[in-house]
Amino acid sequence: MSGQTIIHDVVIVGAGLAGSWAAMVAAREGVKNIGVLSKVHPLRSHSGAAQGGIAAALGNVRPIANSTAEDALEQVPTGAEPSDSPELHLFDTIKGSDWLGDQDKIDVLVHDAIDVIYEYEHMGCVFSRTPDGRINQRRFGGHSAPRANFAADWTGHVLLHTIHEQCLKHGVRFYSEWQLLELIIEDGVTRGVVAMDIITGEIQTLRAKAVLFATGGYGRAWKITSNATANTGDGVAIAYNAGAPLMDMEFVQFHPTGVYRHGILMSEACRGEGGYLLNAKGERFMENYAPSKMELAPRDLVSRSEQTEINEGRGVGDDKQGIYLDLRHLGKEKIMSRLPQVREIAMNFLGVDIINEPAKIQPTAHYSMGGIPTDVNGRVLANENEDIIKGFYAAGECACVSVHGANRLGTNSLLEASVFGRRAGYEIARFIKGGATLHPLNRTGANEKQEKRITKLMERHTNDRTVSLKHINDTLKQTMTDKVGIYRSEATLEEALTIVHELREQFKHVRVTDTSKRFNTDVLGAIEAENILTFSEVVVKSALARRESRGAHARTDYPTRNDEAWLKHTIAMQTTDGSPYLTYKSVNINWEKYPPQVRQY
Amino acid sequence: MDTVTIRIKRYNPDTDKSPYWQEFEVALDNEKTVLDALEEIKAEQDGSLSFRRSCRHAICGSCAMMINRKNGLVCTKSLTEASQETGLFDKKNTVTIEALPYLPIIKDLVADQSVFWQQYEAVRPWVIAPDDIPEKEFRMSQEEVDAMHGAETCIMCGACYSSCPVIAGNKAYIGPHALLKMFLRVMDPRDTEIEARLDQIATDNGAFRCHKVTNCIGACPKGLNPAQAISTLGKMALRSNRLTEERKERLKTLIAQIEASTVE
Repeated sequence: MSGQTIIHDVVIVGAGLAGSWAAMVAAREGVKNIGVLSKVHPLRSHSGAAQGGIAAALGNVRPIANSTAEDALEQVPTGAEPSDSPELHLFDTIKGSDWLGDQDKIDVLVHDAIDVIYEYEHMGCVFSRTPDGRINQRRFGGHSAPRANFAADWTGHVLLHTIHEQCLKHGVRFYSEWQLLELIIEDGVTRGVVAMDIITGEIQTLRAKAVLFATGGYGRAWKITSNATANTGDGVAIAYNAGAPLMDMEFVQFHPTGVYRHGILMSEACRGEGGYLLNAKGERFMENYAPSKMELAPRDLVSRSEQTEINEGRGVGDDKQGIYLDLRHLGKEKIMSRLPQVREIAMNFLGVDIINEPAKIQPTAHYSMGGIPTDVNGRVLANENEDIIKGFYAAGECACVSVHGANRLGTNSLLEASVFGRRAGYEIARFIKGGATLHPLNRTGANEKQEKRITKLMERHTNDRTVSLKHINDTLKQTMTDKVGIYRSEATLEEALTIVHELREQFKHVRVTDTSKRFNTDVLGAIEAENILTFSEVVVKSALARRESRGAHARTDYPTRNDEAWLKHTIAMQTTDGSPYLTYKSVNINWEKYPPQVRQY
Repeated sequence: MDTVTIRIKRYNPDTDKSPYWQEFEVALDNEKTVLDALEEIKAEQDGSLSFRRSCRHAICGSCAMMINRKNGLVCTKSLTEASQETGLFDKKNTVTIEALPYLPIIKDLVADQSVFWQQYEAVRPWVIAPDDIPEKEFRMSQEEVDAMHGAETCIMCGACYSSCPVIAGNKAYIGPHALLKMFLRVMDPRDTEIEARLDQIATDNGAFRCHKVTNCIGACPKGLNPAQAISTLGKMALRSNRLTEERKERLKTLIAQIEASTVE
């Protein structure tokens, strides 16, 4: 039985930084009737797991004159020349993106950054401080100045709590533990969503004038991942099923320092504060790959370097699949004040105190550069011609603006989620106050379709329910790790595509053992697995088509970047038979100021 | 291969008359956490086992449960360690897992934390900043920031709340989690409503309701000390000038009553 239809002006799906910013801003701008759905309690969102910092060129801190990169920083004296600028941040991000990021959009990101940080501070965010009481900053990979604004190594946690508090202050209504099932778009106009109240198992239609997806990334498709179990790319898959395109899905970032065998994040702040990466021979191998930036090269480059060391037999650990992260020389005091959470993680999962011993790490699937294409105000683009899907918005990791291009710089993701969530909030408020109307549901049946889908999953004692969810999940994750990982080739990607197709076929026979309505995480797991299968096909197809290496997409059979053929965004659309159709869109480049260059560090 | 028995309190209010215990065997492995064991049981033995989890490293707060009769997060609890713990109710090689106590059960290990969240919202957890905000950041010393660390790093998992004997009997009590949040706001140099917050702290269901049993300290998976924060808030509320003599006397009486009831 379906419940009554719920009506809002705006429905936001996801309550991490992007969704919460959008909700808070729209509410503050006078939109009264906002509903935010989240599959976990808002404070459980994965934005809170971000550790190292959030980028903005505040210029509070600079390297001490004539020092090397490893030396200490100092606060910039009042009245001194600015030590950093949005323009430097812009160039670093363009270079980090391997020139695939849209430069006009990165320009918006780096300029809004400064306002966003001060707004966080005014809203109560507890940042670490310089001696004179300004927000403290640290170094991060690929950034040419210390511009990672931080709160020890729990930056995401304090940002998430701060923005959630502000949502409460502005009376935002939350639907905690609701699972998104379907996006309703009819005739190019957004009408609402279908979702499940996890606690009761009821399926409900929520109608709205505007829908924003802020559902996070898709890193759970890989076996070793830093992502929370919630990050199953639901919004990405569901938008795609509703006819929205997906952009640049082949670009997935592998973070260089995941906990060995667990994948849990050990912040890049470890290296920002001066940590070393060592191979089995005790060598700081980064000098062979990025002699000027060393450990603070961008993540794609560091992860590839680690993988090369591992592939050539210089890994550590029982299976030689690890690398050492050595922080001992930072000293106890610095570790305790700057990296307390990382220390706790190493103790819990490796049994190692980083004050006395190096920690074993390995590259881990971390961030999804690709996603639902949007403009700078969160409006979803319907196609390569950049037409708009009326009333549909996306922000944060599920969106692809694109500011990260082929590789994101550390600290730019908290920033992106905040900047574009905030902008989407303003845009949605303009849209609603400008007389947006609630469009009727002409083609009924979305609710019933989802109810039938769930009932079918729970059917028992039928002979064809022979496949376990574990088989689907394990096979898919192992395949994506082995064949669509840091290095890919035509051969591995073709194999992966075959397996993904087989799994999609097998999924029709998947067996769910929990048949109760109440809090059915078994059914949820099946829905999530189906979403993962949906977007994984797009990831593999997009990767197969792109015959070059750029940023996080490293093809062993096409090892160099090819600007003539591939300086363009991949756009994937679902065809009527369900398979993706690929088309391409040009990258916004300021050819006079920032033409593509050789990317060296 | 060594195995460990995972003893889980199961309950689906729609179909079960009352909660019951069910045992599962999982292979013991030094790298496994208690969460890994639960995931394994769900994937391989019983898909209907229900529990919350998300980040896997003690920052999201989803997976607080009672493990061997003590609240904590299953994601960072080593299975080997948990299997070695013995106590009044625990056998060696057995790990006992229940939902957080003092709350209604939604299903199996999933507790209904609605009251917990209502109390959190009731203390107005947001900063109430002055009207004249600076162009850039408020200036603040690292010492002032450090003083807030013990409250700022709270992940709202509810382990303290569900270990508190006051909460067990009185859901109107603000609770250790929400009081710790108030401590954060009272300590924040940017907040302008200290007086109003201390008023709320000084109500009958505020800081003075704490029996100083300090279970919250042992329960906190982040090593925080809500009891001390509550005690400090109580002192601040008492010293506050805007409290009338009559109110101070009433509070002193209340404290005396509470302390007497704790002793017995």
